[in-house]
Amino acid sequence: MMINTGENKEVNMSSVMVGKSNKKRLNLSPYLYIGPHLILFAVFFLFPTLYGVYISFTNWDLIGDPEFVGLANYTEILLNQDSTFYEQLRIGLGNTFKFVIFTVPFCIIVPLFLAAGLNTKPKGMKFFQALFYMPSLFSVSAVMIIFAMLFSVSFGPINHYLNVDTNWLSTQPYAWVTLVIVTVWWTIGANMIIYQAALNGISKDLYEAASIDGANNVQKFFKITLPSIRAQILYTVVITTIAQFNVYGQPLMLTKGGPTSSTTVLLMYIQENAFGSGISIAGIGAAMAVILGICIMVVSAIQFFFLRQRD
Amino acid sequence: MISLIFLLFMAFIWLVPLLYTFLTTFKNESDIQSNPFTILPINWVIGNYQDVLFENTSAPVAKWFMNSLIISVSQTVLVLVIVSFAGYGYSRMKFKGRDAIFIFLMATMMFPAVVNLIPLYKIIDTLGWVNSYFAAIVPGAAGVFNIFLVRQFMQGIPKDFDESARVDGASEFQIFTKLILPLIRPVLTVVALFTFTGSWNDFLWPSIVFNDIEKMPITPGLQLLQGMYALDIAHALTGALIAIVPTFILYLFTQKYFMESLSLSSGVKG
Repeated sequence: MMINTGENKEVNMSSVMVGKSNKKRLNLSPYLYIGPHLILFAVFFLFPTLYGVYISFTNWDLIGDPEFVGLANYTEILLNQDSTFYEQLRIGLGNTFKFVIFTVPFCIIVPLFLAAGLNTKPKGMKFFQALFYMPSLFSVSAVMIIFAMLFSVSFGPINHYLNVDTNWLSTQPYAWVTLVIVTVWWTIGANMIIYQAALNGISKDLYEAASIDGANNVQKFFKITLPSIRAQILYTVVITTIAQFNVYGQPLMLTKGGPTSSTTVLLMYIQENAFGSGISIAGIGAAMAVILGICIMVVSAIQFFFLRQRD
Repeated sequence: MISLIFLLFMAFIWLVPLLYTFLTTFKNESDIQSNPFTILPINWVIGNYQDVLFENTSAPVAKWFMNSLIISVSQTVLVLVIVSFAGYGYSRMKFKGRDAIFIFLMATMMFPAVVNLIPLYKIIDTLGWVNSYFAAIVPGAAGVFNIFLVRQFMQGIPKDFDESARVDGASEFQIFTKLILPLIRPVLTVVALFTFTGSWNDFLWPSIVFNDIEKMPITPGLQLLQGMYALDIAHALTGALIAIVPTFILYLFTQKYFMESLSLSSGVKG
């Protein structure tokens, strides 16, 4: 039975009359809805993360029982200059940082320009959009095979058509150059789409008003466009940085970590120590992973602090 | 005008690797040896595809492809079910600690996943899942981002709909299945696409949990293929091309959703 209380709201009288209250019954069903995920989350994410930190304080070969050793792993890789693992951390973390520093700017600037270009709604826009985005859907191993062939010193078309004989994959600085080129080709699609959507949302009136005031295109770009999409730039900078810290497949398959370990990234050493051939050195691997994790979180926090909207 | 020139130039750069790959897969290896730099194949052959697909010992691409298909489809289905229920729970149901739990889950997205790898392997090992599809399917369903997407989308559906259904005597489950699920089809499509693609392209984790050549999916398998066909350019590229075909086709059919989803996730209404 419905009563019109005169406020454009109809009060449902039936639940009142029956005396049924929906609020106080002990209801298990919400837990049935969120439960399955929470169980998976606890078993396959939360617990491993906590256990991973614990392992970094142990000696463990993944088979027997972990043996607690306190800070020994950390002192070894951070302070013991004679240790191979110290070398690995130094080289691996250094290269990971280099990779991040070399690739992230391009992974922001290139898609930004592409998005700006697409924002002029040229002919064939959909084709361009699809073309630039699609590589991000390909697996890293497939893309690395393709580019290893493309940039091959002896039979790669790049050297042939540019008429050079650069050894792209096994000498520096070309190894880094190739890694950056490949990473940009492969990954900028997602950022481009995000910027496109953001640019779409900027009101045309702002640009018109600026034109009237005599602003040129460069000024409009820096004074209107960039500030308007500040949130998306922050988001993509943080996400892209985190993604590039996790680099693994590109140097593994393209430059094979070379020449002489100059492109061997930390994740490769972690994988080698924990899962490589021979006895697993999981404790050291875990300690390296924790350090990598801390670096990621610290860098993200710094980026967030500097780029956030202050209002 | 300048933009068009710029775009055309970039498009050329983006196309070159794809065209190079496609055309080379139809070239005869011996033709490549003698004339390495023709653009078009001298003789168009499909032998590379036959070799690569029917190779059965060191790089069984056909087997890898099937493994990937089973793993990716299964994970997609699993995630869709888990994420729909959980999203509904956090959006539509009232229970103690609901928002606190949800915020906690969101916060854990900040934790780098790299710390996980070693213990996760041990768990998989203990469960007896090494070299099994489960190892590649189940852990991925623990993710939190998709729940965020689904819940956000659900928040946009007016709660009045639920209320009127409740008044009519519908149970929670009926509201969930008959009312809400049909309405969240767009976000579920996005979740499905990204889960499938992410699963198909996963590299590090499958290479850790699969050491049996027969059981591994195609993405880590390509690393072995690269070793095997190190000097056989056409064969290597054929393997790579086969690996990217499914996500390429998926994209062609569902372009719209990929684009929309990125706007969704970055919080921009585009």
